[in-house]
Amino acid sequence: MVGDGFYPDWEAVYRDNVDRVYRLMFAKVGNRPDAEDLTAEVFLTALRPLRVSASAAEVRAYLLTTARTVLAGYWRRTLGHEVTRLRDDDSLEAAPADAAATAASADALGRASVVLAELPEHYRRILQLRFLDSCSLREAAAAMGVSVAYAKVLQHRALRRAAQLLEAGR
Amino acid sequence: MSARGTRRFIADLLHGRRPRPFSADDADAAQLRAAITLRSARPGSAAPRTEFVTDLHQRLAAELTGEPTAAAQARPGRPVHNSRRRLVQATSIAAAAAAVGAVVDHAVTKGVPAESGRDQTLNPTTGQWRTVSASADLTEGAVQAFDLGSVIGFVARTGGQLRAVSGVCTHLGCRLALDAAASRLDCPCHRTSFALNGQLLTHQLPVAPPALPHLQVREAHGAVQIYAPPGPAG
Repeated sequence: MVGDGFYPDWEAVYRDNVDRVYRLMFAKVGNRPDAEDLTAEVFLTALRPLRVSASAAEVRAYLLTTARTVLAGYWRRTLGHEVTRLRDDDSLEAAPADAAATAASADALGRASVVLAELPEHYRRILQLRFLDSCSLREAAAAMGVSVAYAKVLQHRALRRAAQLLEAGR
Repeated sequence: MSARGTRRFIADLLHGRRPRPFSADDADAAQLRAAITLRSARPGSAAPRTEFVTDLHQRLAAELTGEPTAAAQARPGRPVHNSRRRLVQATSIAAAAAAVGAVVDHAVTKGVPAESGRDQTLNPTTGQWRTVSASADLTEGAVQAFDLGSVIGFVARTGGQLRAVSGVCTHLGCRLALDAAASRLDCPCHRTSFALNGQLLTHQLPVAPPALPHLQVREAHGAVQIYAPPGPAG
């Protein structure tokens, strides 16, 4: 049933893809409440008209198209600006059991580490502490031996620099 | 450039909260994109919660019950994660009587438990998220009544999860009263009672009234919110 085959029913479609769709959405919005809402929206939109007789690959392509529309709608509603989008190379194909998870989250991981590696030490450190190690501003400041106010400024500058690097690499 | 909106958005991301909307420009978007890239690379944060996966499964099952799906028949011999839950979901209306009898802990006093196992969620066409309580006020195990003008209901936090149901009896529309000690919603008119998840518990009617409709509920900005139509007061 999984892989190149066919899904026996919508529940199989759901079970096999919910993890992939969620990870994809999480990589695009970066927070759980929205990733959950958007995942729900994808399945609620996609499952009703879905022909289960389609092949697994076709079903995934269809879920991906739905996800693209749902994500675009989300940014339109919240920021009026398409901050992230599903790109042509985003896919639902990688097995969720893989250590690297889906292509989307692996990609986010890859791009994050590339950007971090290019940043000056102070910038790299503050972003690592805040975004990846879940440190509070106070904890991050303590770890770096700087004041909280300075850590805040540092984070702001580091993120701006990281944004420039990411934009250049896009 | 909206420095404040961007700053708040990033702070929300870092706290794992739902970011607040604002009107962003290109420069904001670039920073947010960087923040999202970094945040979603945080180890262990990319996988969905089990509760979410099961809940959505349930919602989908409720949405799709009108359609003839192969899943309507529970298939023995297939691995299932949660047989009790699956049993409820895999139940077609025709099979509801038997299945509900098997999974509901409280006995229905008499009558036919027609569609009581079927979940309905209120999805208003023009709804908005409306605050009914501060998050902090709705502690684990707590139940609160709310009246939004357009809908009334009860919201409860059980097992870390929020659930909201309509506060109107599905029989003839009397307002339900909360029996907090028994975790039950009682109808003053015909001695019907419902569980906090909307499930019919007891009744003395010839035909069992349906379960209470669910309302969409979420937590945002430290508040518990219900998705409901705008009230008469605006």
